[in-house]
Amino acid sequence: MNMSPKLQEVFATALAIPSDQITADLAYQSIPEWDSMSHMILIAELESSYAIAIETEDLLEMNSVPNVISGLLKYGVEV
Amino acid sequence: MRLYDLILSNKNLVYVDALTDTSYGVNEFHQSITIDDRKAIVFLYTDNMIGSVEVFLNFLQSRFTVTLLSPQLDIQFKLELEEAYQPYYIYDPSRAAVDGFEVYEASSRIQLFKNLSEPDYPVHEEIKLLLSTSGTTGSPKFVKLSDENLVQNACSILDFLPIQPTDVTPLNVPVIFVYGLSIFTSNCIAGGKMICTNRDILQKEFWTDFDKYECTSIGGVPYVYEMLNRIGFFKKEYPSLRYMTQTGGILNHTLVQVLAEHGLRQQTQFFVMYGQTEAAGRMAYLPPKDLFTKNTSIGIPIKNGSFEIDPDSNELIYLGPNIFGGYAKKLEDLATFQRSERLQTGDVGRKDEDGYYYIIGRIKRIVKLFGTRMNLDEVELILKNALGGETFVCMGIEDKSILVLHLNEELAPERVKQVLKEKLNLHPSMVKVKFVASVPLTPNGKIDYRTAIQLMD
Repeated sequence: MNMSPKLQEVFATALAIPSDQITADLAYQSIPEWDSMSHMILIAELESSYAIAIETEDLLEMNSVPNVISGLLKYGVEV
Repeated sequence: MRLYDLILSNKNLVYVDALTDTSYGVNEFHQSITIDDRKAIVFLYTDNMIGSVEVFLNFLQSRFTVTLLSPQLDIQFKLELEEAYQPYYIYDPSRAAVDGFEVYEASSRIQLFKNLSEPDYPVHEEIKLLLSTSGTTGSPKFVKLSDENLVQNACSILDFLPIQPTDVTPLNVPVIFVYGLSIFTSNCIAGGKMICTNRDILQKEFWTDFDKYECTSIGGVPYVYEMLNRIGFFKKEYPSLRYMTQTGGILNHTLVQVLAEHGLRQQTQFFVMYGQTEAAGRMAYLPPKDLFTKNTSIGIPIKNGSFEIDPDSNELIYLGPNIFGGYAKKLEDLATFQRSERLQTGDVGRKDEDGYYYIIGRIKRIVKLFGTRMNLDEVELILKNALGGETFVCMGIEDKSILVLHLNEELAPERVKQVLKEKLNLHPSMVKVKFVASVPLTPNGKIDYRTAIQLMD
């Protein structure tokens, strides 16, 4: 997966998994670690790391690694 | 009447499989799988999908004693519990095989595992259900509940919740928790459609279903309501929604305000409830009209129940027909069922001048992390077993995180967090680890938790 080390770090911290497990096919509820609680942590981490405020509708859209990346692009974040 | 007979006699009851949009009348699940006629334990690792519901109903109808367990339980914990309790059948779609068990096709849809040794041990006739006291720590300690307990609990709920035959209830709270079980039983008796799903509130499909089936209620712990608020639930219009229920702690002030506005705008009712596994579910509820004047209260006792406050300890004591028949910590404990008149809740309580009760502290060593009850002594034991028998001291910090004190300067905090993540699915951010030179003790040599909590930075 082509992403910045910063985003990789955000994923690894929020989902509490090693960086090398962050792949394009990773999605919400596809692994036990990506559950409702870590999803909320992920959203909060993204908001603080990139100084953005994620809209409610995007919160449910950002449900996989590719969808998080496209979601961030919408907010003008370079990933 | 037995719980199962009450459910079967609900002519409006329909189970909907949300994944395939298929509906099943309750009759279609009546003796729909072939099982032996025995009094023994069965282990059901149930989610809220249609298959779990069908299996649960069949075993409710049978003489078997049902144990409801989380499918996500650590595999080592599953094996230890099965060794300790010798279940006659196991339902666990997550496993292809179980040592000592044979695959048994109970119907074209349902596969069980059958114990090859055909275990034979005494189980008291009154024990219908075993529920875990913790849910995730793999402790062999279960609450023994009778059919009568479950019926009494469901009927007391029907007395205050506006459940109607036309209701559509999403099963979004796991039935392995007594709160989810209460939603299930009360709606099976008097409700209409039950939407069987494993989808959760952070999935778009859940909300598509919610609209499609015109759901009339939703339930959750405070954390679920915080998430609902964050995803904009209270700003949207759900014309079918009539009421919401909440248990497992106190809502923050912001949320109460949000709910106040929502209730006025959309004519929804909000019920705060207080319960415990040992009471087969509910003990108290706060009538919706009181939410804003008494918003930190657990409310008033349910029908046929009452509270006392222990004059010495201020512990809240519950009295009622839904009190359990004792704990089981091993197989032999299943031979007895002894109902007591009084239940020590482990919570410190207060009653106001209008007769409303408040929880102001906790006596038992328990934290509720995001609604999941966790016994801190069991957490200490898990760490001790996983990390070479060392001493760990665990404490809850405001039901938000766990503080772990240890005596080994060499031990990396990450190892402690890793164990708790693997065994209990605890997010590392909820765990604080600290090395201390010594653990404070009370004069009689026990760990002094009151002093120990002050060692936090």
